[in-house]
Amino acid sequence: MMRQFLTLLTAATLLAASVTTPVVAQSPGPLRIEIDEGVIEPLPYAVPDFVADTDAAAELGRNISRVIAADLSGTGLFRELPKDAFISQITSFASPVQYADWKAINAQALITGAVSVDGNGRLVVQFRVYDVFAGQELGQGLQLTGTQDGWRRMAHKVADQVYSRITGEGGYFDSRVVFVAETGPKDQRAKRLAIMDYDGANVKYLTDSSSIVLAPRFSPKGDRILYTSYETGEPRIYELNIGSVTRRVLPTQAGTMSFAPRFGPDGQTVVYSQAQGGNTDLFSMNIATGASNRLTSAPSIETAPSFSPDGSQIVFESDRSGSPQLYVMPSGGGEARRISFGQGRYGTPVWSPRGDLVAFTKQSKGRFHIGVMRLDGSEERLLTASFLDEGPTWSPNGRVIMFTRETQGASGKASLYSVDISGRNLKPVQTGTGASDPAWSPLQQ
Amino acid sequence: MNTGQIISGAGHLALIGWALFGGVFKSEPLPFEVTEVTAISGDEYAALVAPQSAPETAVDVTSPEAPDIDDSAPDLGSGTDVQPEVAQPDVAATPPPDERPEVTEVMPPADAEVSDEPPEITPPSEDVAVLAPEVAPEAQPREADRVAPEPVAQPEPDAQIDDIVQPETVPDEAAETPREETDATAPEEATTEIVTEAEEPAQAAPSKSLRPQTRPERPAEPEPVETAQPQEPAETETQTDESAVNDALAEALGGGGASETETSTPSGPPLTRGEKDALRVAVKQCWNVGSLSTDALQVTVVVGVTLDADGKPTSIQQLSATGGSGGAVSKAYEAARRAVLRCGAKGFDLPRDKYDHWRDIEMTFNPEKMRIK
Repeated sequence: MMRQFLTLLTAATLLAASVTTPVVAQSPGPLRIEIDEGVIEPLPYAVPDFVADTDAAAELGRNISRVIAADLSGTGLFRELPKDAFISQITSFASPVQYADWKAINAQALITGAVSVDGNGRLVVQFRVYDVFAGQELGQGLQLTGTQDGWRRMAHKVADQVYSRITGEGGYFDSRVVFVAETGPKDQRAKRLAIMDYDGANVKYLTDSSSIVLAPRFSPKGDRILYTSYETGEPRIYELNIGSVTRRVLPTQAGTMSFAPRFGPDGQTVVYSQAQGGNTDLFSMNIATGASNRLTSAPSIETAPSFSPDGSQIVFESDRSGSPQLYVMPSGGGEARRISFGQGRYGTPVWSPRGDLVAFTKQSKGRFHIGVMRLDGSEERLLTASFLDEGPTWSPNGRVIMFTRETQGASGKASLYSVDISGRNLKPVQTGTGASDPAWSPLQQ
Repeated sequence: MNTGQIISGAGHLALIGWALFGGVFKSEPLPFEVTEVTAISGDEYAALVAPQSAPETAVDVTSPEAPDIDDSAPDLGSGTDVQPEVAQPDVAATPPPDERPEVTEVMPPADAEVSDEPPEITPPSEDVAVLAPEVAPEAQPREADRVAPEPVAQPEPDAQIDDIVQPETVPDEAAETPREETDATAPEEATTEIVTEAEEPAQAAPSKSLRPQTRPERPAEPEPVETAQPQEPAETETQTDESAVNDALAEALGGGGASETETSTPSGPPLTRGEKDALRVAVKQCWNVGSLSTDALQVTVVVGVTLDADGKPTSIQQLSATGGSGGAVSKAYEAARRAVLRCGAKGFDLPRDKYDHWRDIEMTFNPEKMRIK
């Protein structure tokens, strides 16, 4: 009886406590949702004219902002908002940004800058990048100094920084392209080497048109070019120093045809094709010592070699299986592994600077394509299709491919095109004359 | 003679008698064919067998005479063709003007009889036959600057590009309260996938016919709403003083069912599936991965978002990330943050009575479907 009484007393006490204690509502916890689909569209941005303190600098500020906008919008990843939509005007580089005004016009990125000329006549460019909706700066402000003549390069460098800060990968605007400039009718075409900025500006010729030149290739630092010339009647490989415009022929075996050269990542090793007695094989050479090494000895044609970014492997083209296909082998030679298995003929493989893809030319069903595939041959994607597309080359960041497109007929003309690796943003590259065999340089130092 | 022999003899006699008189040895006559024969007279028979005489054949047959043929050339005559007369058509006199038609006033149509009662609508039975849709080729994705999960047609030229569809409104002078004038808005044209130049052009003829679609599933049942459950009636059969005390203890320690629900559940029931989907759609429309690097597209980032009562984000933070390096994670988070801030700038459309359920949200941004393939 006593036990029951105590139990009842305890229950009554606890009941009273539960009534008098304030009730604390339990949180239901966060709502969880998964977003597994989004949109792919150009990111809207605004780049007002860079502010300047003098009229001369103001013109440079306008020009620099225009080059930045052309670089960014030219990628297809960004869309510039027109100036007449601006609510705020940037009149001072140091003033705080009115984010609400830029949000109102859906500017998701804002680039502001200032241009001035210092006491030594050097151009000083400052810029900042803002994430408008986050209301904060992306990275820190940066200042560049250079010659006034080099304002385009400074604009490209600013655009590279903006691109990198928004996308997370390196840019490719401060780079150059070497190509074969072509003039004259198709059956009597004059060819010479030319170099230009990636966007077609500042074209300069490196050779005359007295002999046929083919397939120029940049060194890893962008200071030298390898190319093939018929100057002596037979194809030989030359090395050209861009700074001094001096050249020398590589000491390949006499009495043979050598062509399709490409630098290794060390800048000293060159891999190339050599034809002798009707057979074409791959060779490598140390261009400092002239020592060469045979890499293949098959009775088939092996050509178009390209190093992997780490220099350990080579992708090349061979018809050992009966039709031209792509193969990968160790850079010192050895057993080759076929990676292309689709219908058609594959050629001119180029290893991506990122190392994950190979770009190639494919001929299938009467059309030519530029495509990409992984190193095991999977995920082949054809990006273009035309009467004749060939000779892909990668942008320094591995995002864009430039190639040659030639139109049909006796009046057909070769020109350069570029395309994003997604297959979007296919567009011609302005070169002035006919152009073929492009090679993209690394980013300039 | 013993009894057995008598019985045996009687039995045999009965059996023999049944066999003789019972018809055991009678049999039915065998079947036979019957042919009907007709008797005829001798004259009739002679007439039947007499030889038939052959028909007479005529030998003298005269040949038909050939017609006379005149080989002489036909007489063409010497007369010349007479020039046909060409006469101008008679000019008809100007017809008299039409008489002015009689114009009579058109009688206005009689007022239609309008009944205030709505007509009875008979719902079709569920077993009604459904016609197969017309055979049409599958829509091919076209090239557009914007790639989105749902294709969007090209907006009207006058419409402003916005994530929200809104018709144009003009001021209504007759209205008592002035209405704000706004322009029409529509989302930007979008396709569902990237179309490269190498894609085969769409063929004019359909390569396959579309099958009738299956009946759509019924809308999902709304998620069960947590409500207060009635307390189970106490068992009375074995109710004792001790069990009553234990119940009281349990109520004191854990609280009753009804009071627990009322105190721990936030205001309003949880979000329904449709409300969650609406939020998901709102965010994904602003999640632009087009400017992300391929490395950043490998990163799945979880973002914690706190909203105010108007559905506007007040704080955003990165909770976790998988699948990439530091720089790529940073860019993936920034893209997710932009999505929340852009589409939440005007407040997400969420039920206010359920605020406690969506005040804190964990959003997982998984770009697997958006990678370049």
